[in-house]
Amino acid sequence: MSKQFARRFILFISMLIIINLLLDQAFKAFSVHNILNNKLDEQYAEYDDTLKYLAIGNSHNCVNTYILENSFNYGSPSESLIQSYYKLKHILVEKNKRPEYVILQSDISSFGPMSADRYEYNSYWIKYINFLELAKIKKDRKVLTKWIEGNFFSYAGNYKDVQLSIVYRAKMKDLEMYHGYRPHRDYKNFAKHANRQRAAWNKARRILSKDVYFDDATRVYFEKIMKLCQAHDVKIVMVRYPMTKEFSDEERKIVPAEKLFGEVEEIATRYSVYQGTFDYHDLYFNHPELFFDPDHLNVKGSDLLTERLAKDLKDLEDPEIKVLLVP
Amino acid sequence: MLFNSLEYLIFLPVVVILYFSIPDKWKWVLLLLASYIFYMFWKVEYVALIMFTTLVDYFIGIKLAQKMPKKRKKAYLALSIIVNLGMLAGFKYLNFFSESLNGVLDFFNAGISTPVFNILLPVGISFYIFQSLSYTIDVYRGIAPAEKHLGKFALYVSFFPQLVAGPIERSTSLIPQIAKPRAFDEQRLVSGLKLMIWGLFKKMVIADRLSMFVDYVYNNPQQNAGVPIILATILFAFQLYCDFSGYTDIARGSARIMGYDLMINFNRPFIAKSLRDFWNRWHISLTTWFRDYLLYSLPYIKNNKIIYPLFHLNLFITYLIMGLWHGASWTFVLFGAINGLMVALEIMTQNLRNRFYTFTHISRYESLKNLIGTLATFSIIVFSLYFFRANSLSDSFVLIRNTFDFSTMREAFYFMRQDNELIFGILMVIGLLVAEHLHAKYNLVSNLASKPIFIRWSVYLGFIFFVILFGVLHAQKFIYFQF
Repeated sequence: MSKQFARRFILFISMLIIINLLLDQAFKAFSVHNILNNKLDEQYAEYDDTLKYLAIGNSHNCVNTYILENSFNYGSPSESLIQSYYKLKHILVEKNKRPEYVILQSDISSFGPMSADRYEYNSYWIKYINFLELAKIKKDRKVLTKWIEGNFFSYAGNYKDVQLSIVYRAKMKDLEMYHGYRPHRDYKNFAKHANRQRAAWNKARRILSKDVYFDDATRVYFEKIMKLCQAHDVKIVMVRYPMTKEFSDEERKIVPAEKLFGEVEEIATRYSVYQGTFDYHDLYFNHPELFFDPDHLNVKGSDLLTERLAKDLKDLEDPEIKVLLVP
Repeated sequence: MLFNSLEYLIFLPVVVILYFSIPDKWKWVLLLLASYIFYMFWKVEYVALIMFTTLVDYFIGIKLAQKMPKKRKKAYLALSIIVNLGMLAGFKYLNFFSESLNGVLDFFNAGISTPVFNILLPVGISFYIFQSLSYTIDVYRGIAPAEKHLGKFALYVSFFPQLVAGPIERSTSLIPQIAKPRAFDEQRLVSGLKLMIWGLFKKMVIADRLSMFVDYVYNNPQQNAGVPIILATILFAFQLYCDFSGYTDIARGSARIMGYDLMINFNRPFIAKSLRDFWNRWHISLTTWFRDYLLYSLPYIKNNKIIYPLFHLNLFITYLIMGLWHGASWTFVLFGAINGLMVALEIMTQNLRNRFYTFTHISRYESLKNLIGTLATFSIIVFSLYFFRANSLSDSFVLIRNTFDFSTMREAFYFMRQDNELIFGILMVIGLLVAEHLHAKYNLVSNLASKPIFIRWSVYLGFIFFVILFGVLHAQKFIYFQF
């Protein structure tokens, strides 16, 4: 190898590394999802240890913290049960902040492999997730590359996020977030969709798997959440969030819901902190106007659901009503 | 270990650095070890199969090179063929034949059935077995000398860049390169890396992106009709091309860095003006293998004259078997049969078509004639891909039937317009075709190499980060790994 070539090669590789570093840092700083998630963390950090309700989950989690008193909506986009576990562990073990209740999302899609295999926004999650542990539980060493991706190549494959970050840059300045809740899904009305059944079918096939209804790793982490809450005496209430009738119909064609929830319940009931499941999935079957898309409530829907949830949570504390509420 | 994985990104530089650090006489040892380690990443036990194939064909090769009666030579060759194809049949086709036979027995209410086993297909078995078999056949025919060095022969069979999905290299090409390793070459390093990046672009940005839409349609045949099916099948042609040629580029690039030249496996197949032209441009190492070791081995000459009907039949049989090579399923058999039939018909109707072109004066316009040929070829190939891609025979028929249902066209366009990945994938396909055309016309790579370093490096760096940003990162297997 000639000296000139060696110098040029080293220079090229150095430029590759530097540009990668710059892109990585720029993405971490300006990615709209990172901004949102970091703001969530900031807002939660302001809390002292007097929180009553901590709602965790993904974008289905639409708990309106204006309505549910003393609550925090710590749900983040595409969050899986695996990620929820690590975030909860950080809160309870490292930060030693103990809410009275955890409102845990338990939709059908929460337990499938599609959710478990999502690693979007890894650059945010690397501070929570123990990838070594995750790789062992999933029995998949490729999981370790997610750590490398999150640390050094956060922008890799994330062109959609880059696009969103540019488009929503202006909106981020006026971002309204109250105790984690963002009332942002008000610009679409699913009732007006041209073909609701087809849209529901498209969505269901993207996020659900015919082959596996209860992912193995998710099962392990679900139980870990239960154990974690048991160890810290945090009560758990599971919530199945509302969805459109069209989406529910498509879900049931793919996943044996009764079988799935039978297994989920069997695990949950082993722990005394488990208070029960509020099943709201069919609450608004006749109200597509309350939905943003097949499986997300819009702002109005979120408000109505939270009012209902607040009432049910209050009734939960009444021993006479609790028995009727949560069989 | 996939080529588009972080593991390979670490594995290759380590092997390359070690390769050029050790004396020439030990290079084959390092590469052989690296190749076996590479293969063991898939499944450790299956490396025993590759070693078995290697040993059998090594000793048979030595025997075939010795002076002996022709009958005995034939027996040794037959042994190599039986062992190699026997292994392939056992791992790949046993259940297929068993299930097919059970279907027939069920139809006749025979009341008996043949067993079906749970066998995992060893990755790359179709490729390395064919490669090893080509060696013994060439030695038998006197085209290639027998390799006396077991280690170097073992490396020929298991050379990691082309081990799991080709190109299927001939011994006359690869073994001499193994025998005389090249010194480090700066130009080869740079051109090898460029080829690899181009391969990663085709695989990660185009193929894996198109697969989302193609899988969506082909995994739900009943729910799709009309334009989405046609579009998915057309895009599958490009997905398959980008996936496989992308893999080949990475394989060739990896080998080139170390000083090895692997054969070109694809040569702009979508500009083919006839089916024969297409199959001379697509998966060239496989089609030439079947041509040299099957087609021309079948009888078609009598009294020094070519018996054309027999030759056409042989063509059909060759393509049928080539279809079956791709997978143990009736869909692949049909894929092969369609291509075989159409190639034979193409030859048989050559004169008729020439008369038609003359009669209609199309023959005066070479470009128009070529365009008709290209479109007709592409249409036939796309039609055969219905069977190649479909998950089952019944699915393929549902898809073909639903293709002609345009009742939901408006709705289909509505959903497709909203699919950004699909639109982006189509734009990238157009970009690829334009780039390949420009490269063929103006030799873009050489053109760029003559530009100032600032421009060259801007293009290279820009392209690398484009691939990283827009690539589908969840490392998807290469399609041809399943064969």
